[in-house]
Amino acid sequence: MSHGVISALLGGVLNVGLVLLLAPLCQGVLRKVTARVQSRQGPPIWQPYFDLLKLLGKEDIESGESPGMQRFAACLSLATVLSIPCLVPMGFAAPMNDVADVYLLIYLLALCGVCTLLAGLAAGSTYSLVGISREMMSIIVLEPLFAIALLVGALHTRSFRLDTVLNGSVYATDGFPWSGLIMLGVILLSFQAFVQRVPFDISEAETELMEGPLMEYSGPKLALLKYAQMAKLVIYSALFVGLFVPWGSGEPFPWNCLVFAMKVFALVLLVTLVAATHARYRIDQAIRYFAFLLSIAFVALVLASYGH
Amino acid sequence: MITPEQAVLAAILICLGGAVLVLPLSRNKNSAGWFAFFVTVASAILILLAVGEVLTSGPSPHAATFWAMPEIGFALCIHVDGLTSMFLLLAAVIAVPTSFYSIVYMRHYPDYGVARYYPHFLAFLAAMYGLLSTTDMMWFFFIFWQMMTLPGYALIRFENRKPENIRAANKFLIMMQIACAATMIGAELLAVTGAAARGGASLKYDFDTVSGNLPLLLATRPGTTALAFALFLVGFGIKMGMWPFGQFWLPDAHPAAPSPVSAMLSGVMIKTGVYGLMRYFLWLVPVEAQSDYPMARWGLIVAVLGTVTLFTGTMQALKQEQTKRLLAFHSIGQIGYILLGTGACMVLLSSTRPDAAALATIAFFGALFHVLNHGLFKGLLFLNAGSLLHATGTQDLNKMGGLMKFMPLTAITALIASFSISGVPLFNGYVSKWSICVAALLGSGSARYLAVCAVIAILTSALTLASFIKFFGTSFLSRTSALVTERAARNGRLEVGWIMQIPQVFLASLCVLLGLVPAIAFRLMQHALDASRQGFGAALSKSAPMVSGPLTGLEGFDAAARFAPLALAALLGLLFLVAYGISRIGGAPRRAAVPWLCGYVPEQDCHRYVAHNFYGEIKRYFRWLGGMPHPQPGKQKVLKGN
Repeated sequence: MSHGVISALLGGVLNVGLVLLLAPLCQGVLRKVTARVQSRQGPPIWQPYFDLLKLLGKEDIESGESPGMQRFAACLSLATVLSIPCLVPMGFAAPMNDVADVYLLIYLLALCGVCTLLAGLAAGSTYSLVGISREMMSIIVLEPLFAIALLVGALHTRSFRLDTVLNGSVYATDGFPWSGLIMLGVILLSFQAFVQRVPFDISEAETELMEGPLMEYSGPKLALLKYAQMAKLVIYSALFVGLFVPWGSGEPFPWNCLVFAMKVFALVLLVTLVAATHARYRIDQAIRYFAFLLSIAFVALVLASYGH
Repeated sequence: MITPEQAVLAAILICLGGAVLVLPLSRNKNSAGWFAFFVTVASAILILLAVGEVLTSGPSPHAATFWAMPEIGFALCIHVDGLTSMFLLLAAVIAVPTSFYSIVYMRHYPDYGVARYYPHFLAFLAAMYGLLSTTDMMWFFFIFWQMMTLPGYALIRFENRKPENIRAANKFLIMMQIACAATMIGAELLAVTGAAARGGASLKYDFDTVSGNLPLLLATRPGTTALAFALFLVGFGIKMGMWPFGQFWLPDAHPAAPSPVSAMLSGVMIKTGVYGLMRYFLWLVPVEAQSDYPMARWGLIVAVLGTVTLFTGTMQALKQEQTKRLLAFHSIGQIGYILLGTGACMVLLSSTRPDAAALATIAFFGALFHVLNHGLFKGLLFLNAGSLLHATGTQDLNKMGGLMKFMPLTAITALIASFSISGVPLFNGYVSKWSICVAALLGSGSARYLAVCAVIAILTSALTLASFIKFFGTSFLSRTSALVTERAARNGRLEVGWIMQIPQVFLASLCVLLGLVPAIAFRLMQHALDASRQGFGAALSKSAPMVSGPLTGLEGFDAAARFAPLALAALLGLLFLVAYGISRIGGAPRRAAVPWLCGYVPEQDCHRYVAHNFYGEIKRYFRWLGGMPHPQPGKQKVLKGN
């Protein structure tokens, strides 16, 4: 038992550290590649690290009427995001497999967004609230999409365990994995929205809403919220890899981690390319699009319950 | 030593006696309030004694008959078994804080005396104790039902100078009488056909007699019994606010009543419908009759009705802009979860798959735990809404804003309640929704549609979260509204006094406690099942699917599903400290400022983004689902765009 606890703690610390280290790098790559695609020079790859460090020392302007809530929500936002790597296999097995199951993962993913919304609400700017209303509407339609993907896996394996489901379980059928492949398509088509990038960054929409929920934030709190957003890209990529691209994770030590990193990196590049070449949707267009994907996901769920 | 049945009867009599004695005291609101509170506490102590006795050493072998006229089947029989004791526990736990809250809350009605409040409140409570423990399906069912309905009617029309409250109370009265008639006709059908088939038994409306006759009836008169059960479903469905019946009365009745009564209506009264459903559909039918009892079909109906209820109720709640009306629609939505859990339990019980029995118990635990949880967090939310009404004089979310600064304690308890009802992990609502969804999803091997029901339930959780982001955000966060500024300048202080704070803190701490240590509730429910020797209650108690420990959390279904809240809380707490450490590492100075409005004009009330503006697209796409709020009198600010 104690051995299990220690390895869980070590694995958790390792995963959290990995996400904290890698997230700004991914953001840097994303910015550089975007710039190149759009025929610009772009900032150096290390720029996000410097941005975060600089923000940590800058003046912290609290424009809300309940600053306690602002502090709480900003810290909770990063804390929730960082709790996910403890539950998700990232190269190694899922560290805190015994703490919770896939159902918790669904809620934690939704909660990541909601903490940012609470922060925005506490600041109370009208522009923030417009962004919050949009963001919450997208969460309503997006959360079930990833939930269905996870639950299709849970249906196939008849288990909610994290290590079972996040191991390519969507394909774990006897016959041809129709439901898994449909969900792969659905999640690929909505992946930009999960990581809040163009064309689905409607709630932030710099050019019209000036960062939406984050608008009133500056200094260290902005650093926390930005860090959480960068970490989301890595975490969703890790989840996607675990659920849909499990091949190669059984290799012996350093290879499994390398393979994992390659897969995550490939996803980040994909996200970047889509983001750099698309224009932002309006919220009603986006919701219609997600609703369409959701109806397809329901078909996949029904197929999965019949064992296909 | 007093038996559980005697204790419950004593609690009923104390409440009724109190209802009479409080009348002469009612000239003084304060003394009447304290008197009613002490009466409620006395009855709650007796109820807790009875519940504790039943859960620790099992129920009495037979119902206790206090008064009988066998020739017409009239008998005051009371029996406290496991199922009854869980619901009695809920009634006692909610009644005490609400009656304490009433003491000060009722002072803010200067034009209405409490002579029409406390007697009805106590009679209402007595009726609920009675309805939950009587075994008579006809006479005393009718008496207790009317004892609950008529005072409820009086309490809903308490502010009787507002015509909309009278209308709401009339709707409540009519719907409750229809429900009463449906349930009694159902009971009569079973009793008459039972008596015809078996020869006249002494007490033909007693649970034991009906239950004894049911195997024969199910085999020989399937049509009549199906009709009777359909009538029970309609009757109890009206009471608990099931779609489509709930929409007729519930959203009007809850906001009209004084807030502590809304808490009782939503927290306890509608649960008597759930109790009836569980009692009649699961406990009344003996296990031997399983082959003739179309339980899978009833389970399908209940689960599908539950899914429709939870989606429509919550989607309609999302459109609301009045605090208590929003909460009332959420009551319908949350009842949907309970129905889904109960329906899934029935479907799985009738399944022949080897794993179905364990999943049925998980589904039942989920439904029963959600009954308790909903009582706690919805009671709390209605008290929060009462505090908001007390402080601002309005139920309109559009006119509120920035109240966290003025009412920090109410804000924190409201945040806890909002998280609980949305099913956020570490709060109590999560565990019950988790149980229901795990059972429905893993049970989809027995019935395919359960997987779709489970996903709709998960989707609806996101809707609930959205609705409460709006509720909490626009009332407590956001920017201070003109109304709040004006109120604060006039009253000096907006936060409610300690008498109104204590009940909120009490209920909030129960929400957190059950969220962090759900093992307490699961142990209680296991004891409750063990103390149920009738019908499928006994069948459910045979499988103990959840391994629970206070520290290790819950683990169900061969470790296929698990949740260790304390470990998760420790993890989140640690990471929170890490995040806080990161934010303070640079020693950044803090400064307060006003939000930036693009620099054109200073911020004014008309710039605020209010509850009306939230979720425009979703509201537009689901306009056909109904429940759109009536336009409020006064100017309506509409911010274009979304």
